[in-house]
Amino acid sequence: MNFINRALKNVTRKMSKSLLLGLTFFLIGNFVIVGLGVSSAADNAKILARQKMRAVVEYSVDHEKMWEATKDFTEEESTEFYENNPVEITLDKIKEIQQDPRVKVVNAIGNHQMYSKSFENVLVGNEENNNSGGTYFETDEFGNTVEYEHIEPNISLKTNAFDNMIEFEDGIYKIIEGRMYTQEDIDNMSPVCLITDKLAEMNNLSIGDTVTLETMELRSLEYYEGATVEDITIEMEIIGIFDNSEELDPSDPEYDWMSPHMSPDNIVLTTESYINSSKLKLEIMAFDSGKLEYPDIEYYQDEANRPSLESMSYKSNIIILLSDPLDVDAFVKDYTATSESEYLVFDANNETFLKLSKPLDTLSIFSNIIIWLVIINAIVIITLVTALTLKTREYEIGVLLSLGVSKTKVVAQFFVELAIVAVIGFTLAVMSGSMIASSVGNAVLDFQVATADVEIDEDNDYNYYAETDYFTEVSLEDITSKYEVTISPWIIAQIYVAGLGMVLISILIPSLMIMRFNPKKILLNTN
Amino acid sequence: MSILKLENINYSYVDGGMKRQILNNCSFEFEKGKFYTILGPSGSGKTTLLSIISGLDSPESGTFYFDGEDVNKIGLNKYRRNKIAIVFQQFNLISYLTAGENVQLAMTETDNSVPKNQKEVAYALLEKFGIVKSKADRLVSRLSGGEQQRVAIARAIASNVDLIFADEPTGNLDTATEQEIVKIFKMLTEEYGKTVIVVTHSNAVSEFSDLRVKLEGGNLITL
Ligand SMILES: Nc1ncnc2c1ncn2[C@@H]1O[C@H](COP(=O)(O)OP(=O)(O)O)[C@@H](O)[C@H]1O
Ligand SMILES: [Mg+2]
Repeated sequence: MNFINRALKNVTRKMSKSLLLGLTFFLIGNFVIVGLGVSSAADNAKILARQKMRAVVEYSVDHEKMWEATKDFTEEESTEFYENNPVEITLDKIKEIQQDPRVKVVNAIGNHQMYSKSFENVLVGNEENNNSGGTYFETDEFGNTVEYEHIEPNISLKTNAFDNMIEFEDGIYKIIEGRMYTQEDIDNMSPVCLITDKLAEMNNLSIGDTVTLETMELRSLEYYEGATVEDITIEMEIIGIFDNSEELDPSDPEYDWMSPHMSPDNIVLTTESYINSSKLKLEIMAFDSGKLEYPDIEYYQDEANRPSLESMSYKSNIIILLSDPLDVDAFVKDYTATSESEYLVFDANNETFLKLSKPLDTLSIFSNIIIWLVIINAIVIITLVTALTLKTREYEIGVLLSLGVSKTKVVAQFFVELAIVAVIGFTLAVMSGSMIASSVGNAVLDFQVATADVEIDEDNDYNYYAETDYFTEVSLEDITSKYEVTISPWIIAQIYVAGLGMVLISILIPSLMIMRFNPKKILLNTN
Repeated sequence: MSILKLENINYSYVDGGMKRQILNNCSFEFEKGKFYTILGPSGSGKTTLLSIISGLDSPESGTFYFDGEDVNKIGLNKYRRNKIAIVFQQFNLISYLTAGENVQLAMTETDNSVPKNQKEVAYALLEKFGIVKSKADRLVSRLSGGEQQRVAIARAIASNVDLIFADEPTGNLDTATEQEIVKIFKMLTEEYGKTVIVVTHSNAVSEFSDLRVKLEGGNLITL
């Protein structure tokens, strides 16, 4: 007849007490299970929806904020403001971000419009509109109107500061032959490039061939004194051929007027470092002539602004792809603190997501509050019930003490009694709770969604400065469809832990009463 | 050597500003294997004395020895568990256990060597004191007062202790039953060699005892 045995006998033979307590635990258990089920379903739905979203963060100029700051400025004040607030992402910063273990790929893209020399561009299909250029007029230094031919650039040269691009990671670009440029190519400024399969096919180009491009129209050369055709010529060896799965949409209102360089087929990829080194000379020339021509403009007079490979690598916008969507919020938070300017912001474009997941947040908070209210109430009730039954069991406690049973064993017996009933009550609650959790859970979500204010402004910060929209759009349906109330083993484990915790806390006050119990009472309380 | 020796036990309490000395330098020696009765009028402090020498309460001052060993050194819990057993007036049984389980309880809790087949031993002991097996399986609340007191006595000897105390064990029983119970106490000394100390105000009980002691003026006097 040890204490466990006695506890078992007490539970089975004092049935009405056990039933009442068991019912209490059962009801509590149901509340806790439904609460836990709903809150974990809400949290899960958020996580799942977040995981479906792309782990993309954009670090870019907050144009809206700059405009707000300068809207009442005079032109002079404005100029001064822009000089004092350089909004450039430095290469150091870009590299620091790229080295973060959470980061998968960084797109620090440069977009250079070029003129192909040794090959033809792929036709867009809108050529009847003659978008490759046209006849324009301009006034020369003698006041005469002169006619000139303007030619549209036909190739888009895309560069990155790193040996990968989000487009490859996403499978939008696929290497079909050869290779991507390497870090070594970047470091050595190797004249290498990748061209689209369409360009290769059309011009019968293959790996090892050389392509020639010009960085500007020939007629523009006249603005650079002493510059030669050589200075605007770029020669590169083809090291890779890739497929770009992007396609032009002929129903796009802009399609008719699109120039050839906007076609996804007319893309050439090369390293940022090589292109910058090729363009540096003309950049410096432009700066020097600006210096002579505009003695009043401070910018040209300040040698610190002289173009360099370093300054040419600055960006106003980079796109960061993380490995895990769930890291996005923490990543944005961490880096926001290190931003180089208050006008450069890290943005995960998750305002829509956060707004849409409000009903789930409310649901999660509500169910947590309910769980805690129920648990606290339960502890109070069970403490009271145990303390009160203790009064009626004083005699029994005295008997046990008179037999030399230690007080701790008496407490242990009471604990086991409660625990047995709790486990039975909670086990039944797990069964019934699992059945009702999903219907109760869905009903409360429907209610939440119906009452929550989840309006979304349509053009919610879609960034039109970025060439490609790397973000995913989410809908309320996307998020709520992930919400599914199930009672997982983890929840069940939590319920039992909560139950035993409740029993432990509830037994505290009764235990103190037992520990203070004077065994002599048993002799004095005659009847 | 005496089984229980009391040395200058004092116990008092304050009631309405007045100090009442219940035990006053009480000293006494109880011999092994004897049946004692302690007599005294109601309120004279018999229960108080018993609660002290059974280790349920502590005296204000004074020492008592079990088999020559200071009981405080043994430890009161251990003393109650291994050295003594108590039978109360209101049959100290646990209501949700059967008669048999109540007897087994004493065997489980003591550190003394007890037989392994506790259940059978409990049945045999109860049988010996007139509780047949069918009754031994009943919850104690379904037994009569006399039967309950037999169960209590069976439990008292189940833990294999040498000293058994009883406080008015027949106070709630009719005269015929009282006689039967007293005979059992007598049997405990004669057959089992136990020392029995029974507090009573009944002469019918005290007449059966080997030695009669009176609590008077806070001290024990052999009659
Ligand atoms: N700690 C105490 N506080 C107050 N009264 C006490 C205390 N201990 C004993 N008494 C009182 O002392 C008297 C003697 O009690 P008791 O030992 O029960 O006598 P008896 O058993 O001989 O009738 C009783 O009136 C009891 O109420
Ligand atoms: Mg008394």
